[in-house]
Amino acid sequence: MSFLDFFKKKKSKDIAKDRLMMMLAYERATTKIENLDEMKKDLIDVVRKYVKVKDVEIKTSSNQEIETLEVEIILDK
Amino acid sequence: MGEVITITSGKGGVGKSTTTANVATSLAKLGKKVVAVDFDIGLRNLDMILGLENRIVYDVVDVMEGRCNLAQAIIKDKRLDNLHFLPASQTKDKSILDKNKVEKLINELKKEFDYILIDSPAGIESGFEHSIYLADRALIVTTPEISAVRDADRVIGIIDAKSKKAKEGKEVLKHIIINRIKPELVEKGEMLSVEDILHILALPLIGIVPDDEEIIKSTNLGEPIALDEKSMVGEAFRRIARRILGEEVEFLDLKSKKGIFDKLKGLFK
Repeated sequence: MSFLDFFKKKKSKDIAKDRLMMMLAYERATTKIENLDEMKKDLIDVVRKYVKVKDVEIKTSSNQEIETLEVEIILDK
Repeated sequence: MGEVITITSGKGGVGKSTTTANVATSLAKLGKKVVAVDFDIGLRNLDMILGLENRIVYDVVDVMEGRCNLAQAIIKDKRLDNLHFLPASQTKDKSILDKNKVEKLINELKKEFDYILIDSPAGIESGFEHSIYLADRALIVTTPEISAVRDADRVIGIIDAKSKKAKEGKEVLKHIIINRIKPELVEKGEMLSVEDILHILALPLIGIVPDDEEIIKSTNLGEPIALDEKSMVGEAFRRIARRILGEEVEFLDLKSKKGIFDKLKGLFK
């Protein structure tokens, strides 16, 4: 089964929407927080004091009412 | 004091100038004194869409640099008494706009007009920043394409950062205009729908404008389509103007081609 077959059932606009939402989740984070890299480093340093950390991923999302910051800490196995 | 409305998009070619021309025309038709200001320094556009290109003597930079006074540069439309236009300069030096001079100009316009519509340039550089700085309201134009929606999202993200009003702790109103929607493609699931776009951008809608070839003719002639009472696209723009005035107006019920035709017949019988 090829990659395209996987999406066969989906309409092109659904794919467009998914791609957009993925992209924007990332871009919104990078425009809202000016020194994102610094913050990431600090977070890793703090968490590292307690557990082994591989990486930290930060996402923001917003609508008119609330804005959230989603921090995903990937642990080292 | 007049209200400053900036029409912006991020991406170029989505219909900012067409929207500015038609919303300005529609507001003027509703009896409001309007001036449309072209802030796309170096790349004049709005003059031809409004059909006023032959009457330009001075431009917005001439006013700011004191080479003429405001009244000399403002062009009064001959079709609509209330419609006025202030053209962009064709200078190649885009950095010519200065924040203080822009503010002085806009404040003068606010004394004279009910609505000041600013046609912002594409992009998010200094030209955009000048055009959004004094806005009371921003109309963000997008088409149902991923690149346009993505850029719209980026612009929305920086409007408050560049706005004087937001810095003073007040709110800049933001509304979405979805331009060039093709109902038949949306029905087939091959084009982002109005709901999809609003879900992504999370701002209130102020207008849906269908894609129609008649807009090309109106641009060719230099006659804003909002002047054409029989046009569906014109009606879409007229409704945006009524919503700006605070009226609650239904959105056009856009169905595929046949639907539009039926709707048109129904509307103008």
